[in-house]
Amino acid sequence: MSLTETVQQARRRDLRIPLAAVLVVIALAAPYIGSRYVTHSLIIALIFMLPAHGLNLLVGYTGLLSLAQAAFFGIGAYTAGLLAVTYGTPFYVNLIAAGVVSGAIALPLGIPALRLRSTSFVMCTLGFVIIGQAISKNWVSLTRGDMGLSGIPKPYFELGPLSFSVSGTTNFYYLALAIGALATFAAWAIVRSPAGRNMVAIRENETLAESLGVPTWHYKLIVFMLSAVFAGIGGCLYAYYLTVVSPLTFQMYYSTTMLIIVLGGGAGMISGTVFGSLLFVGLTEALRITPELRMIAYGFCLLVLVFWFKKGFAPLINRFWNVIGGVK
Amino acid sequence: MTHIFSRRMLCITGAVLSVAGAAPFATMAQAADTIKLGIVAPMSGPNARYGAFSMHGAELAVKDINAAGGVNGMKIELFNADSQGTPVEGVSATRRLIDQDGVDFVIGDVSSSVTLAMQPVAEDAQVLLLNAASSNPKITYQAGVGGFKWTYRNYPTDENRALIVAKYAAEQRGFTKFAVLSVDSDYGRSAITFTKKYLPDFKGQILSEDYYKEGEVDFRSVLAKIRDNGAQAIIYYGLADTTPILARQMIELGMAGKVTLIGNGEFNTEKTIKAAPSALEGAVEAAAWLPQFDSPASKAFVEKFTTSYKEAPNNHAYVHWDTVNLLAAAIKQAGSADKTKVRDALSKIKYKSPVGEVTFDDHNQARLPMILLQIEKGVPSIKGAYTADIQYPAK
Amino acid sequence: MLSTVLEQVVNGIVTGSVYAIVAVGMTMIFGVLRAINFAHGEYYMLGTFGAWFAVDYLGLSYEASIVVGILATIVVAYVVGQLVMRRMVGAPAESGVLATLGIALILQNAVIFVFGGGYKFFSGGYIEPISILGFSLAQQRILILVVCLVVFVGLELMVTYSRLGMAMRAVSQNVECCEVVGIDVPQVVLRTFILGAALAALSGVLTAPVNVSVYGGMGELITFKTLPIIIMGGLGNVRGTFFAAMILGIAESLVATYVGLQFRDTVGFATLILVLMWRPYGLFSTQARF
Repeated sequence: MSLTETVQQARRRDLRIPLAAVLVVIALAAPYIGSRYVTHSLIIALIFMLPAHGLNLLVGYTGLLSLAQAAFFGIGAYTAGLLAVTYGTPFYVNLIAAGVVSGAIALPLGIPALRLRSTSFVMCTLGFVIIGQAISKNWVSLTRGDMGLSGIPKPYFELGPLSFSVSGTTNFYYLALAIGALATFAAWAIVRSPAGRNMVAIRENETLAESLGVPTWHYKLIVFMLSAVFAGIGGCLYAYYLTVVSPLTFQMYYSTTMLIIVLGGGAGMISGTVFGSLLFVGLTEALRITPELRMIAYGFCLLVLVFWFKKGFAPLINRFWNVIGGVK
Repeated sequence: MTHIFSRRMLCITGAVLSVAGAAPFATMAQAADTIKLGIVAPMSGPNARYGAFSMHGAELAVKDINAAGGVNGMKIELFNADSQGTPVEGVSATRRLIDQDGVDFVIGDVSSSVTLAMQPVAEDAQVLLLNAASSNPKITYQAGVGGFKWTYRNYPTDENRALIVAKYAAEQRGFTKFAVLSVDSDYGRSAITFTKKYLPDFKGQILSEDYYKEGEVDFRSVLAKIRDNGAQAIIYYGLADTTPILARQMIELGMAGKVTLIGNGEFNTEKTIKAAPSALEGAVEAAAWLPQFDSPASKAFVEKFTTSYKEAPNNHAYVHWDTVNLLAAAIKQAGSADKTKVRDALSKIKYKSPVGEVTFDDHNQARLPMILLQIEKGVPSIKGAYTADIQYPAK
Repeated sequence: MLSTVLEQVVNGIVTGSVYAIVAVGMTMIFGVLRAINFAHGEYYMLGTFGAWFAVDYLGLSYEASIVVGILATIVVAYVVGQLVMRRMVGAPAESGVLATLGIALILQNAVIFVFGGGYKFFSGGYIEPISILGFSLAQQRILILVVCLVVFVGLELMVTYSRLGMAMRAVSQNVECCEVVGIDVPQVVLRTFILGAALAALSGVLTAPVNVSVYGGMGELITFKTLPIIIMGGLGNVRGTFFAAMILGIAESLVATYVGLQFRDTVGFATLILVLMWRPYGLFSTQARF
């Protein structure tokens, strides 16, 4: 490496802040740039991003592979849907309730499940989804069974004397964007805190972490609950956006979708999950050009992901940021 | 090595991203004088077994209409979109049809929860949504005067079906003891809810109640229970592909000829009857349509479908074929393909379907004749067609 | 009363045999690869489709269609094994989940694409009922039961005495050591995988006559039934899988009779969770391996 090169490197400008500003502007202006269909796709990405953040804490930071996200997603959707339809409570109340109920249900489920080793744990969490579906189908007096909850009203706010509803795709996008941004910030704050470092310690070596005085059991349980809270909040948005909640919300397809987002974006990286949700929705929507071959192509994309992008897109994102930031 | 590898990764990422980014913006070439019709149906995954027939039925109708010179001189252009049978995908598919392909008319979906999620989308975009295969009563409870102005359903609800089956079974066949075995979906569950509403009028009694999950293949346990509890008939609102499985297992357990199947689930097709003739003898079904229905239009459809797709059409194929024709008739009557005018025409239409005249009530629900049939000597024999108005729950 | 219970137990054993043949392949694949094969039910579906194709298009007899179905599946499994499964040796668990899910999507939807999405009726097989000890059963079910026993005895012998069986056990214990002593690990993985897929296909062609309906998405349900079985049986444990499958089959029959058919599909995972609370390593393994 010659001297001139070093000088050149030093002169490279740090473009990270301008780029971040551009991204924020794009995110805010998106409904006015693309069609309503693009806005809709972005809303779907934001809805799935929430449970994916939760799953990322679990898979990416604590090293626990879980397929239970769809169960908590469904619990959140049902909680919000039932409250909105039966009691007509404002949106923010239902949003919080969805998160709290999901988290509260995660506690008794997590205690036995987290005692299990890897593969058994995966299957146990998959079992939660299957059993969740059976409960939502058969507890007719609560969930209305297969008829599902329909006609969930528009997100309704009541702030002192002011009350209004969020209607229209564009407005819903901003609502989802705000919640998504808050959740991303929350996930980032968790990961950056000392607790986040302890989580990574558990992922890297649980026994070592334990011997260093990390209460691994409590950590795992709390992270499991947190992931359920994220999923519940996502479920609430889902219920409000689709206006329908049915037992179909509890399906493995959603769990695997969230897993694909996390692993595709790069596990153990907050920006990876954000990127992963955009990538996932972009990919599945792009493949709509061939309805018949769509899922076959999607399957091949999964294989490409597994064999060529073993760490997801996280290394690429890192590289990109470093280039932008002037670091070689 | 790492350098080359990451370059390859960058190239692949670039390619994937550009496809992902570009595709939503690639709009189809606009042709001004075509009627754009979108179909939302499950085309991949386990539910593809229903979507395939729906697609073919609609395709056939469009082909025929276009071959005959189109509607008011305009050709119909068909767009299809995969719902995978899940609400999220169904809504995405509908959005895409409306915003990217620019369709004014959407037919879909098979699954009720997908249709329920599509309703607000169609309403929001003011696009005419015609449903041809979902039986959840809520869809039209909340349509027309109930709320959604742009949703129409050309498919019978389960109430009429449940009533005429219960009535016939009790009055003509003299059954009083019934066992319920229906599919665990809104269709199976709501048909049974309505059956329970009417059964006491005919002194009928339900001895056992079971619901099977879609794709279930083992009914021996539940059939043994029904055999032992002395039910005279099984009230079965099930899926077409399950009927032969159930019927064969009835033979296996020696129940054929002793316990009768009543309800709905394509008892009448040649294939089903051939799979288990002795179990289906005497079975009673209320169907929206059956291939043997004696009308020239219906017979012509069966023949054309069979030659085009190398398999006999089923109910899903027919209802989608018929709904495309219904839409064409409405466009013709409106005199233009303007969606508001077509919608108004649809509300007033007296459409001659192969099974009889179709009109819509103030909830945009089609009044459709329900055909009651009984399998006699291995062939369906039609016992009558019934139309009834739906009683909507008070708001 | 007692005869009803007994009849349900017999029903459960027949159902359990179907699950057992599929599950044992899955558990052996897990043993050598440490990956849950979410695509395993698709080989069951492929076998059924192959047999259906042979009967309906080629006009072959049911006996010949069994061979066609299994051979077709072996060809597909060979391709998948060469391209994908071999490369998964030592891969992390989440890669296994995603890769096998991808394969499941490809196989399932490729079949739908080629043969159309509609359901088909399988004709053929020995569906006439016969009466044994007062229980009425289709002959085909007796055949399933017999084949299941033969398969398991054969597998026990193979795993214990044959070269491949010993290699499989070695690989499932320690991959690195196998490489050191010269066992071709990818080759063992490939062979085990093909064997497992062929067994799933065998189960598919045997059940096709009694299950009648054939469609592209049918494999998914079987995958979900077998997942709890392989965990309960103790992953990689052939004998344990057999007993777990029987327990699940019987439990399902009893639940369908005395609780309600709608809860049947939940039985597997509910039992699994209960069993895991009591014995976290499965019913038939004494220590934690995975």
